[in-house]
Amino acid sequence: MLKLEGVDAKYDSFKALDGISMSVEPGELVVLLGANGAGKTTLFNTISGLMKPAAGRITIDGKDVTGRKPSALVAAGVVQCPEGRKLFPGMSVLKNLRLGGYVHRRDRAGMNRTLEQVLAMFPILDEKKDEPAGSLSGGQQQMVAVGRALMGRPKLLMLDEPSLGLAPLVVKQVFERVEQINAEGTTILLAEQNAYAALKIANRAYVIENGRLTMQGDREEMLGNEAVRKAYIGA
Amino acid sequence: MEQFIQQILNGLTLGSIYGLVALGLTLVYGILHVPNFAHGALYMVGAYVCYFAMVELGLNYWVAMAAAAAVVALLSVLCERLVFHPLRHAPPIHDKIAAIGILLFLEAVVQMHWGADFRRIPTPYTEILRLGELTLPAQRLLIIGGAFALMGALHLYLKKTMTGLTIIAMAQNREGAFLVGIDANRVAMMTFAIAGALAAIAASLFAPINLVYPAMGHLVLLKAFVIIILGGMGSIPGAIIGGLIIGFAEALGGFYISSTYKDVIAFVLLVVILSIKPTGLFTKGVR
Ligand SMILES: Nc1ncnc2c1ncn2[C@@H]1O[C@H](COP(=O)(O)OP(=O)(O)OP(=O)(O)O)[C@@H](O)[C@H]1O
Ligand SMILES: [Mg+2]
Repeated sequence: MLKLEGVDAKYDSFKALDGISMSVEPGELVVLLGANGAGKTTLFNTISGLMKPAAGRITIDGKDVTGRKPSALVAAGVVQCPEGRKLFPGMSVLKNLRLGGYVHRRDRAGMNRTLEQVLAMFPILDEKKDEPAGSLSGGQQQMVAVGRALMGRPKLLMLDEPSLGLAPLVVKQVFERVEQINAEGTTILLAEQNAYAALKIANRAYVIENGRLTMQGDREEMLGNEAVRKAYIGA
Repeated sequence: MEQFIQQILNGLTLGSIYGLVALGLTLVYGILHVPNFAHGALYMVGAYVCYFAMVELGLNYWVAMAAAAAVVALLSVLCERLVFHPLRHAPPIHDKIAAIGILLFLEAVVQMHWGADFRRIPTPYTEILRLGELTLPAQRLLIIGGAFALMGALHLYLKKTMTGLTIIAMAQNREGAFLVGIDANRVAMMTFAIAGALAAIAASLFAPINLVYPAMGHLVLLKAFVIIILGGMGSIPGAIIGGLIIGFAEALGGFYISSTYKDVIAFVLLVVILSIKPTGLFTKGVR
């Protein structure tokens, strides 16, 4: 589905990604583990087209999308739910969700169907649908962000630290939803520092450190790996 | 009392024109964070296109207004494509200098063709309605009615249509807008087109009771800036209400205080309001 070959990315002269090669297969839930400043967000933004890679190649289903605009990536089915959510705070929850379906705006029936599914998945959003997104609690805003991304009907959904800053109980709910979305057929790439919770629902994982991928493996390997446990699980 | 109501009517007339001009300025500011100093020149070009179509080509007033809106919308989009877009990664001061460059350029072109003389657009509606002691010139009623209808239409467009929402989305969270697949270029071009059309329509509405000359945009632009600073940069209701405040202040101040100083009133008001509420009246941004 998604394939990166030797991708570099730079902020001015600072190389934030260095030779990233990875892949995500259809139906998988792949976790990207990394500490603060490791390069998770940079990697996601490079895949999404918010940043242009300085080198390397990115393909979606074999099609080269390197350096394409974010709108092209969304149209190709790659949708990111960003760190910090990046909602439209003054707009109602419903408008935020509808804008999530912007690329499908000509297909009204399909959009309404997806909207129903999203509201069924997050019933609280149905209750709050006319309130400004910015007035919701952190957990609810995260649900709006995930819902908005789902409105784009992603083939590949990229979630950047969806648990960041949320209470443990809410984190649990978010991960349950992520698992459900994956089970319903959406491929997921999940960036997390919350390694244990993320690995529990993952098929595979990559570890990123200082802009390089340093480890990879399936769930059992990663959960059993001494270095991973030390660095990211703290046990 | 009649005098007072008469001045209120004048205030509404001025306020609706200022509001239209300020709306375009605030929309552009909201998505690009560029204070578009060329906006006053677009207003001026709008008046000249209307003048040209009506006086030199002999077209109907409404056709001339539509032509002005179309030409200036196009011109505004060209400014975005040829000047602001290439400067999008440059420091903000570059945009400002470029905007002043566009302003000077447009004024020079107009002056080259039409000279610096004052010109008049004939008033298409010369009727004067009377209500008791009140005189209501039809053109003024047209300005007020037209401006508010346009603001209403813009409001519906921005709130109820997907394309309108993209403008607000871009203003509220640029990266968020990119991530749902909104194209920055499309939104920028659309916003400049709307801003240009609003300025041209404002100019075409106002010109029949005013004069047309190359520097006519200066004061309007300054006041539009006062309005969007008052109303909160990027705020749409702020631009409309700010426009009315300045319009009323000018009409009433000009009548009761001094007509010589009526153009200063806007700036005095700016100083007063900002010293009480430094962030402007509507600080929540584009809603
Ligand atoms: N806009 C920027 N300009 C310059 N350097 C940046 C910028 N954004 C990030 N960086 C640097 O790039 C590196 C990777 O940052 P990135 O945000 O991708 O990390 P991250 O893994 O997402 O971290 P976090 O867990 O804190 O979100 C860091 O060293 C960071 O300081
Ligand atoms: Mg990050």
